[in-house]
Amino acid sequence: MVQIDKMPNELLKKLDERGISESSIKLTVKADMNRDGVYCDNWIVATDTDLICIGGSKIILPKENRKITETNKLRVEFGEISFEYYQLKELTEFKVEDLISTAALTAKKVIEGQDESANEVDAPPAEFQLITYFSNTQKSNFHLFVKYLGKLKEKGEVEFDEADKAEELFCPKCGNRYADAKRKICMKCMDRNKIIMRTLPFFFKYKFYIIIILITIILSSAVGVVAPYVNQAFFIDEVLTETGRFFGQILLVLFMILGMRLVDMFVGMISGVANASIAANVTYDLKKVIFSAIERLSISFFTSRQTGGLMTQVNNDANTIYWFFCDGFPYFLINITKIVVILIIMLILNPILTLISLVIIPFVIVFIYMIFEKLGKLHSKRYSSARGMNSILSDVLGGVRVVKAFSKEKDEIKRFNSRSERLATNDQNLGVYANTRFPAINLLMYFSNIVIWGVGGWMVIKGEFNYGMLMTFIVYINMIYSPMYFFVDMAYWLSDALNAMHRLIEIMDAVPDVVESANPVPMPDIHGKISFENIEFSYEKNRKIIDGITFDIEAGTILGIVGPTGSGKSTLANLLIRLYDVKTGEIKIDDVNVKDISFNDLRQNISIVSQETYLFAGTILENIKYAKPDATYDEVIEAAKAASAHDFIMKLPDAYATMIGFGYKDLSGGERQRISISRAILRDPKILILDEATASMDTETERHIQSALEKLVKGRTTIMIAHRLSTLRNADKLIVIENGKMPEYGTHLELINKKGIYFKLYKLQMDALKNIGVEE
Amino acid sequence: MEENVITETKTSLNDVISVVYFNAENAVFDVKNNFLTLDAKLKNEQGETEDKKFPRVYLHRAFPFDNPFSYISVLDKDNKEIGIIRELKDLDENSQNLIVDELHRKYYAPSIKTIQSVKERYGYSYWKVTSDAGDLSFTLQDTFRSILKVGNNRVFIVDIDNNRYEIPDVEALDFKSYKKIELYL
Repeated sequence: MVQIDKMPNELLKKLDERGISESSIKLTVKADMNRDGVYCDNWIVATDTDLICIGGSKIILPKENRKITETNKLRVEFGEISFEYYQLKELTEFKVEDLISTAALTAKKVIEGQDESANEVDAPPAEFQLITYFSNTQKSNFHLFVKYLGKLKEKGEVEFDEADKAEELFCPKCGNRYADAKRKICMKCMDRNKIIMRTLPFFFKYKFYIIIILITIILSSAVGVVAPYVNQAFFIDEVLTETGRFFGQILLVLFMILGMRLVDMFVGMISGVANASIAANVTYDLKKVIFSAIERLSISFFTSRQTGGLMTQVNNDANTIYWFFCDGFPYFLINITKIVVILIIMLILNPILTLISLVIIPFVIVFIYMIFEKLGKLHSKRYSSARGMNSILSDVLGGVRVVKAFSKEKDEIKRFNSRSERLATNDQNLGVYANTRFPAINLLMYFSNIVIWGVGGWMVIKGEFNYGMLMTFIVYINMIYSPMYFFVDMAYWLSDALNAMHRLIEIMDAVPDVVESANPVPMPDIHGKISFENIEFSYEKNRKIIDGITFDIEAGTILGIVGPTGSGKSTLANLLIRLYDVKTGEIKIDDVNVKDISFNDLRQNISIVSQETYLFAGTILENIKYAKPDATYDEVIEAAKAASAHDFIMKLPDAYATMIGFGYKDLSGGERQRISISRAILRDPKILILDEATASMDTETERHIQSALEKLVKGRTTIMIAHRLSTLRNADKLIVIENGKMPEYGTHLELINKKGIYFKLYKLQMDALKNIGVEE
Repeated sequence: MEENVITETKTSLNDVISVVYFNAENAVFDVKNNFLTLDAKLKNEQGETEDKKFPRVYLHRAFPFDNPFSYISVLDKDNKEIGIIRELKDLDENSQNLIVDELHRKYYAPSIKTIQSVKERYGYSYWKVTSDAGDLSFTLQDTFRSILKVGNNRVFIVDIDNNRYEIPDVEALDFKSYKKIELYL
């Protein structure tokens, strides 16, 4: 029995009541909705002959009596709300269909007495049958179910393949969803300290600097803490007072004050220098680690929704992490020490006044905390409205041609004004809030001073306390608030820093899907024979994009690939250059599995021109030379000529030195395509893949390039993927790809004679040409 | 030649592009084995009207948020458009009901009534809500980008598995719930 989801006992009991014994069950899976779209546990159970859907939920009932007692344990039952039954032999072509937010399992119902093969185009096909709905979360399980069901129908028996073992999606500890099922790290249960510990090594390299920074911060805060005592208590009580030990020695005090100032200044300078050098290095290191993921990780990392977004934050994250360790963390230590030291000094100066302050301070802190929370919200509102305004600005300026062409200036101004107004409002709210609440905090603090003045003054009059001591005490009580501000604010930046560190760890931990062989077979001279053997591949788990494709390309010949969009044509090219790895089957070049060829050999010998061209910001020359930086000018010009790019490049004022890319010269789609073809040609590869390379060009240019390519493809293995069959007229062999399968394979003539899909396409395109009066 | 010129001046987009709009005369929808079927009278290439039966048709909204019950594309099993339902009321009553049912099923997304809790951890957020389908919990990745504002107050939340949850009117949420989502809007 294969249980994609494990059946609970109460369900087995229920099924038994229904006459379905556990031993007859071959395959089960659980949906979270039933056929009517009601949320419940809907179990799909297959036996040798039947398919049963039983929906409901676990219900817990007290046994017999209503009261639950120790001796009277709970009774667990499966509360059934829906039940459907099908004969398995009636159903064929099980399919997982995507809806908008949910999906459905459907099948075709074979109608008795109807011969499948007689199912001509016009005859009514078999009826459809909806089996169940389920949410997207269970889609992968259902793809698996369909696969096993096929095996069950075919062989009458299924065995579980360990490779299909589903990733555990939920954390066993807290029941929450793993962010990435492969890593099995629950965001909720993850330990903060662990994250911080993982990031620390970046800073160990610079421990010397960090120690210096720590020492300097300690020194400067020590000076800061001691200074009021010298300025106030010592000066007033010991120097200015007749009974003082240092009465009259004003100069001494002045030197002391000056000395402290100097120490403070030098310490500040040293810490500044240390900070500056470590800041640059650490952020550089961090960015390097994050950015080098480009080399290490496979393309699937960057294209997946789960992980792709991580990379966009490289810059901010590096700064945030640096800031946490070099600013935030030391200040955290310092501020804690400061608070403790100040409290101790206050206690020594006057315990009674200290106790009074300790009653007042918590109120101030709670008040500050509330204000900061609200302030944080106002800040993020302001931030998002600023972002909204900026996006309109760049949108409109970037598309100013379209705005003008449709004379939409007034509307755009209106749109901008509304956003701008929102920003202004939010700005104002923030300003008003900050400017009304902070004085209130100050007043509250002032209030605490007044209380101290009152009580302290009374003590001074009674002779229990010195005037200088009182002044010092007040300075200290005010000094204690600034570390408090720091702690109130800490919650925000700590979570920011932890997020950033977590993203960093996620990138560091990511494992590439496509791994280069440790001992690659040396391939100094590739001939270009390619064979695909029984290839299967899926981007999404359990959903095949390529399903059992086998073909050979002789060295130096041209293979044309035809098929509708989304049929998997480009995927074949991606598999050949190992942007992704095949799930089953083998791709071989010169009889060597591509997995055993080093990335360098593989990609050095294969050039790909795809339908999406990407040109980097830089000159045309740099872009053409991208794949072969040591190319000579002669080679560049030849390559550009071959791709019909030379002529249009020479019409530009700066010719090959023209800057292209964002903010510079705008090239048309065809021009960009020709530059990327030049790039591929310059590399002089043994294997050339043209993936709709000429699709965005006018027919004349295409002809030009075609004739250039004809010369070029001689002696090269070429894979041409195209919609227009005319593009493929030179192909030695053709394959037709449809829904991941390869229904047709052969030469042009063979396929025409076969009168299948290729023939139909050919006829359609020929008819289209005839209609406009062109005949070939 | 002259005729040509005259017709050309009269040509509007409507004359050039022919869209099949379904109404009570040319389309009858039914349901078999929980799937929508269509009996339609369609013009063939010769311009003659013929009866065509589709054992299963699919629906897709053209303007899913603004006009969920008008301009509904009707597709055949190969995802080719057969025609468009401009307004539901153009159809007979039974067909109308079936279409509404089918659309509800295809576009079903639980509607959130109250938000019990939102917890953010390292860029992911964990939600516990009460919806019309009972209590649900789900996980979002990149919370800001997972919450889509559609129109003024309508919000869609898309979770890590691409499941959608709808809040028909955020401002109609109770105060506590609104406070929890406010920051992301």
